[in-house]
This record gives sequence, C-alpha cells and structure tokens, in this order.
Amino acid sequence: MYVILAIIIILGLLKACIRQDKPLEDTYKPLSETRKEIIYPEDHKNITINGIDYIQSQAPIGKFGGTLTSSTIGEGPKTFNPFNSKDNISSTLSEIMYDGLLTTHPVTGQPIPKLAKSFTISDNGKEYTIKLRHGIKWSDGKPITADDVVFTWKDIILAGLGNTSTRDSIIIDGKLPEVYKIDDYTVKFITPEPFAPFIRMLSSPIAPKHIFGPAAKKGAKYFDTFLSTNTKPEDFVVSGAFKIKEYVPAQRVVYERNPNYYFINKNNEKLPYLDRLVYLIVGDLNNEVLKFEAKELDIINLQGSKVARYKAMEPHSDFVIYNLGPNTGTMYLAMNLNNRKNNEGKYYVNPVKQSWFNDINFRKAADYAVDRTNIVLNIANGIGEPLFTAESLNSIFLNKDLKPYERDLNKSKELLKESGFYWDKQGRLFDKNKNRVEFDLLTNAGNTEREAIGVMIKQDLEDLGMKVNFKPIEFNSLVNKLVNTLDWDMVIMGFTGSPLEPNGGKNVMMSDGTLHVYNMRLEKDKNSPRYDFEKRIDELFINGALATKFEDRKKYYDEYQKIIYEEKPFIYIYSPTIIVAIRDKFKNIFPTSLGGVIYNIEEIYVCEGPENSEIKSDNPSGER
Amino acid sequence: MKILKYIFKRILQTIPLLIIVSIISFFIIRLSPVDPLAELRLNPSVSQETLQKEAERLGLDKPVIVQYGLWAKSFLKGDLGITSNGEKVSVKLKERIPNTLLLTVVVIFLTWIVGIPLGILAALKWKSPFDRILTVLTSIGMAIPSFFFAVLLLIFAVRTGWFPVGGLTSPNFADMGLISQIKDIAHHLFLPVTVLFTISLAGLQRQMRANMLDVLDSDYVKFARAKGLSEFKVIYKHALRNAVNPLITLLGFEFAGLLSGAALTEYVFQYPGLGRLILEAVLKSDINLVMASLMMGAAMLIAGNLLADILLIITDPRVKT
Repeated sequence: MYVILAIIIILGLLKACIRQDKPLEDTYKPLSETRKEIIYPEDHKNITINGIDYIQSQAPIGKFGGTLTSSTIGEGPKTFNPFNSKDNISSTLSEIMYDGLLTTHPVTGQPIPKLAKSFTISDNGKEYTIKLRHGIKWSDGKPITADDVVFTWKDIILAGLGNTSTRDSIIIDGKLPEVYKIDDYTVKFITPEPFAPFIRMLSSPIAPKHIFGPAAKKGAKYFDTFLSTNTKPEDFVVSGAFKIKEYVPAQRVVYERNPNYYFINKNNEKLPYLDRLVYLIVGDLNNEVLKFEAKELDIINLQGSKVARYKAMEPHSDFVIYNLGPNTGTMYLAMNLNNRKNNEGKYYVNPVKQSWFNDINFRKAADYAVDRTNIVLNIANGIGEPLFTAESLNSIFLNKDLKPYERDLNKSKELLKESGFYWDKQGRLFDKNKNRVEFDLLTNAGNTEREAIGVMIKQDLEDLGMKVNFKPIEFNSLVNKLVNTLDWDMVIMGFTGSPLEPNGGKNVMMSDGTLHVYNMRLEKDKNSPRYDFEKRIDELFINGALATKFEDRKKYYDEYQKIIYEEKPFIYIYSPTIIVAIRDKFKNIFPTSLGGVIYNIEEIYVCEGPENSEIKSDNPSGER
Repeated sequence: MKILKYIFKRILQTIPLLIIVSIISFFIIRLSPVDPLAELRLNPSVSQETLQKEAERLGLDKPVIVQYGLWAKSFLKGDLGITSNGEKVSVKLKERIPNTLLLTVVVIFLTWIVGIPLGILAALKWKSPFDRILTVLTSIGMAIPSFFFAVLLLIFAVRTGWFPVGGLTSPNFADMGLISQIKDIAHHLFLPVTVLFTISLAGLQRQMRANMLDVLDSDYVKFARAKGLSEFKVIYKHALRNAVNPLITLLGFEFAGLLSGAALTEYVFQYPGLGRLILEAVLKSDINLVMASLMMGAAMLIAGNLLADILLIITDPRVKT
C-alpha cells in the first residue's frame, strides 16, 4: 500500500509541478497598474416604507443566496460580546452582529448614520442629537429604541463594564459624557468639553437592553463571561446583517442572514443577499494561502512576497486582485532624545550620544541617508510606499504638502559637517570632540521584516561613516527598555494608527504620553523641561481634540505632522500596501482603502457561473 | 488484593512527582522573559490604568511564589482557573480533548491492528522477499520526519483537490445527515491519520518483528517444535505470548501520548485539537492553560506507565509486584 501511496503522492506532485511550470513573466509591473478603476455606487438613502425607516443601498441589484468564506488567523474569537473583546479577531467577529449608531463613510471617512437615521452636533460642539430609525427591529422582533441606546451607553460603556478602552478614550478632564433619552426615537449626548474624537465613539455597537440588561445588573464579573464563545447561537439577539449560527472552536464561525435587517436594495427587497458568512479559523499565514488555493476560502490578504505570483496567475484564475493602498502601519526609526538622569544619578543616554541625537542636523543626516525606495523594493517586494509622515498614508488627516524625497548622501554629509562632524582617512565619522560616532540600533528579534530593515538601515548609516551595532533583541526586553529602563540609542519599531482619528496617537505624540518613545518621561520626570517642538505638539493635540470642525482640526494635525517631518524625532520608513484577492463570482465589490473589501457585506452577492454551482449552500439536504 | 495495594502504592508515589513537575514548570514559565502584557504595553490606545487592572487580574503584581501558591490551591480544589482571556481552562480543554482523542485513538488502533500481524508475518518469513520489501518500506516510514510528510500531504491535497486542507469538518457540517457527517469526518481525518500511522506503524512493526525473531530462536520454541506440536500452536500459543510482552510497555507510552503525541501533525493540518491550543498558550505565557496541559501530560505519562505495569503483571507471571 505504501508503493501505491508513494506513487500517488509523486504523481500528485508531478502534476503540481507541471501546472506550476509556467514562466512567471511580467511580474514586475509597477504597482499602480494593479489598481482597478472602481465605480462606487451613490451613497445610501433613507427610505420610509409603511412607517419603517430603511436604508436603501444604491448598488446594482443582485441575486439572493450563497456563502462567502473568509478567514481569521490565530486561535479564533475569545468572546462574542462586542463590549468585552480585547483582540481584533473577537472585535471583528462580534461587531458583525451589532451595528453602531454611526459608521464611517468607506470613501471619505466621514461619520454617516447607520442605526441612527440622522445626527446633528450643536454649534458649541458639546451636544450630539441622534434621531433613531422608526420601526426597525432586533433579530427577535423587538423594536430598536432610544432605551437600548441609553442603556448601552449608561449601563455598559460609561459604567465601565467589559473592555473599558472606549470609556478611557472619552474621559475629558476626568469627566465623562452624559446621555439622555429625549423620546423613544431621540437620544442626546453631552460632552463636558467640545471633544471632536467623540463622534467616532458613536460607532460603538448598540446592545439590546432586554438581553444585556439582566447581565449588566449582575455586575462586572458576570458581564465578563456574558455571551462568551460557549453561548448557544440561539441566545444571540442582533441588529447587524448577520447572526451567528454556529461556532466550532479552532475551526470556524458561521453566520446566517438576519431576516430583520434594515437595509433594502433598489427593489425594496431586504438585504443581505448572502445566506451565510463563514470565517474559517486558520492557524497561520501559510495555511491560509493553501486554503485559498484549495478554494476553501473566497478572500485572502496577500503578503508582499506572494503578490507577484498571484498577479501572474490572475488572468487565468477565478479571482481578482485589488490594491487597497498603504495600510495604517507606520514603521519608524527613532533616536533616544532623553537628556535626563535615572534614579542612580546616571544619564539614561550617554551624554556624548545625547549631543548627537539632540542635534537636528544629525537626525536629518540620518534621515537623508535612509534609502526608503530600496527598503520597499527589497523587503516589501515593492508592495509598499515610502513613508515620511506621522499619520499613515490612508489617513483622512494626512498632510499632503509634506513631500517625499530620495536618499541624498551629499546632503547628509553637508549637514554633519555643519555640526562639526568630520571623517578620518578611513572614512570613519567623528564628532567635534573627537568621539567616534558609534551606537546601538535595536529592534525586536523574530520580526523578520524589522530585522531585514535593520540590516539595510545599518548599511545606509554606515555609508556616512557611523558605526552601527545592530542588535535585534527579544520583544519583551525591548518593550522594557523603551518604557522602563530607557537605556537605548536607536530603535526600529512600528505602531498601527487610526486613519480616521489622530487623537488615538496622543499617547505617542504628547510629551507626557505613556508611549512617547523618543523622549519617554517616567512618573518622576513628568514635569521635566520640554523641547520647544514638543510643547507645540502638545498644544496642537489639545486644540485638535477640542475643535469640532474637520477643517479646523485638519489645520492642527497638519502642523503637528509638519513638525515631526522637520524635527525628525521619528524617521518614518515605509507602509506596506494591502493587496486582497477575492473570487470573481462575488459582485458589488467596491474596495476602499478605509473600508477594505467586504465592508458592504450586505450588498455583496454571488453571481455563479456553471462551474461554481456545487458551492451553493442553500441546498436543503445539505449533501455536498 | 495484592495488585490493589500495588496500585495504591504507585499512586502515592506519583504525588511528590507531580508536585515537583508543577513547581519546575510554573517557575520556568514565570521566569521566562515572556511578558503577557507586552502587546498591550505597546498599544498606543491602552491606558496605564487598564494595564494595571490587567496585571492585577492575571496576578502578575504578586511575587512568583505567591502566584504559585494561589495556583496550587485552586488546582487542588479541582479548579483549573481561567485563561488570560477570561475563559475557563476546563471548558477550553473539554472542547479540544475529544478531537485529539479521536485522532490518536484511530491512529493507535490502526497501527496495532496492522503493525502486529505485519511484524509476526515478517518474522515468520524472515529473509524472504516479503520481509525485505517490508524492511525497506518501514525504514522509509521511520526516516521521513512527520512534519515534512504532513506538509507534503497538505500540498498534495491542495494540488489534487481530493482532500480538504486541514480542519475536522466542512462548513456545512451542521446541516448534514448522520452518515454524511461520518463521511465528512473520515474525509478530513484521512491525511493526518496517514501521517501518524505511517510513522508509528514502522516502529511498531520493526519492534514486533525483532521480538518475534528473538523468541523463535529460543530453546523452548525449538523444544515445542521438536515435541511435534503443530506450527500454529507453536507460534500463537508459545512464541507470540512471550514476544508481545515488551510491546505492553510500549502501549503504556502510547497511552501517555494520547493527548500530546500528535501536536506537530495537528498544527500542520490545522486540526482543532489540543496541540494548537497549547502552542498559542505557551507563546502568550497563558499560565493556567499551560500548567493544566503540562499537569495533564505528566498525569497521563504516569497513568500510562502504571497501566503498562499492571498489564505486564497480568500477562507475565514472572513479573512480581
């Protein structure tokens, strides 16, 4: 039997080889060509039929039925309670079921109504009046009213049940916003001060009071276990397009359509089109790729190294590749600008090195020496964009006036000379006090991308005659150095930001922030002197949060980006580009950089060719 | 009665062993530099208060000795504690144990059903072409690393489309009839079982063959043959009983491997068993989950050895308690 097995395997592999043996030509197309021209439908409209305020989708009318299978990487959700989730996977999987009052416009990024019919903000920027839709229902048929909204905010979010990150982010000077019920379909929020980021928080899910109420009364400890992954699917009452049907640990989560959903198409038929939405839980990236190739998955995020191969396969395959543009990640190189002493009276940073890092010419010289184009080409396989700004490239607050530039070693050398640095005969760099320029460059070991970047930056900086000791160290030790012991010279790290709300980065940018990496202040140093540019950024962040009009806020955040761009406490490197492949049988796909590919899950439908017919899931007997 | 006393004594002996195992593993995990909160610390939107609350919730603010004491106390009460995400450890394990058992039991059953007869046959037909072919094949089976073989089969599944790529059930499993459900599981189990079966079959077959050859060469078998007993009686009554004894010890180890033996294959095939769960727990330093699985592993090993010893007493009167 082994002989047979061996022969089968060999044949299978041979077959695979033959299929794979096509020459991978024209794989190095410039990225911009992969971007598809997408014609977006008009915005949704509010339509009232028989006293019920529906949202009408303006996308082309599709066919009902079918399944979309997506995936999550890791061990799967930890909870299906959207107020408890502390990880991305749990949030994604639970928020499918619970809509918020508002949502984000997928193209412009502005807040638009969802469960709410409309919203207004008072002129003083403190009062938010939300009108709810009449006649819309939870999945069990009970109406969605102001009571649910007030309950969700008062008794869950503001009471600090579950994950308190929403609550933490809206405490203004120690005070919380208040929420009032005006009538059954009107709710008013009042913030103690004008606080622009608050509007984004109105996208938080709304919970059905008749289900969550009893749980909230039993206290925080009980609430933490409420709607855990062991809850029976029948016990969920939802407002979203899909409701959980089955959760199989470490395998998948299956959702079925919510018949009471309040979206309709142009024929006034209730959406979503799809019968089912399936998330497979896969352990790692490689398995995800295998599952996509075996057609068990319909959609996949492609890593840079895979894009070229998929691009070559695309013309004779059943999937389409979309380029969603740069992601929200900001990879940076930072120098330790700390000039204080630790408890033992020793400087965190060697004073000789301090004099270099605090020298703007030195930072600029390093910046001009970094070859971002080369890094994007070699590390991200060309699937990325050089980055120069503190806000990510898809941010709606991005300062577009800050122009990218190329590597310029001559400029670097001029800047160094200006500050008194000089080179000896072997081209080694010394400062004006005859100290050899030598420092450590850290990053976290195990992250192959950052390690590779480190090697390239080390070479780039050594072209200036600096001696760079590149040391990838274990993640936890690195975090400890960055936030506690502060004894580091230069580091390569990354943060993920929000493309919608720069205020989320205040812990990094403000001078007393808990992640103010480049000049971290411990508790005892909270009142130590600030650099001028730090002071200005602090002001800008405070004003940016208080201003309510987008245009006014944009001015503040533009200026902060300009300061970072000029002062270079962070030297940004690049953002990877998101590339997604999805089966071409799915229609109404309008990918955006902010929303992704399946943000409009209720509008997506399946247009099956004859070859896809076996995937139909509405087969009542269930036989494959 | 004597045997009961023996079992009791053995169980008593395991208690200090389990305590030592628990202390060593607890301290190794806690003293390793993995900080369960490192991810949170580097998240710009997480506040200092949240971090502190998390540290308190996970007991990280207390010294390691105290943490161990707390853990041991609740462990003795039969409470395995909660994972770092607040789920009950016992529930998590309960979800996965049946899946892992399904896989390992099927594999052990198949290996023994096939391996023992093959081993006997090979010994009886010593140096015949049949024996040689088997020798070559089992050597291959022993030489292939399970990880590599699993990946190979996975690629095979992707290219041919004949088998699902990992997992245990299809997405529409819940809507199937009973027979199609069984078929679906068998379809998913085929590849992981093949990997584990190939690798353990080779070892078992070689072992059985060697034991049998030893016994066949012994004086009492020669005597039985000389006495004129039928070949059937010689082999199955006299030779086989003696040749099987060493395998019983092996069975004890197989028992110990019931829950942990397939971890690598499980990982490659994305099988929803304990392997993936524990791996993630170790990476995140999810102490209660890791401790529960380590203690379970230690207990299974001890139980397996005990089981083998008892079986030996029953089958081999020479072994004294």
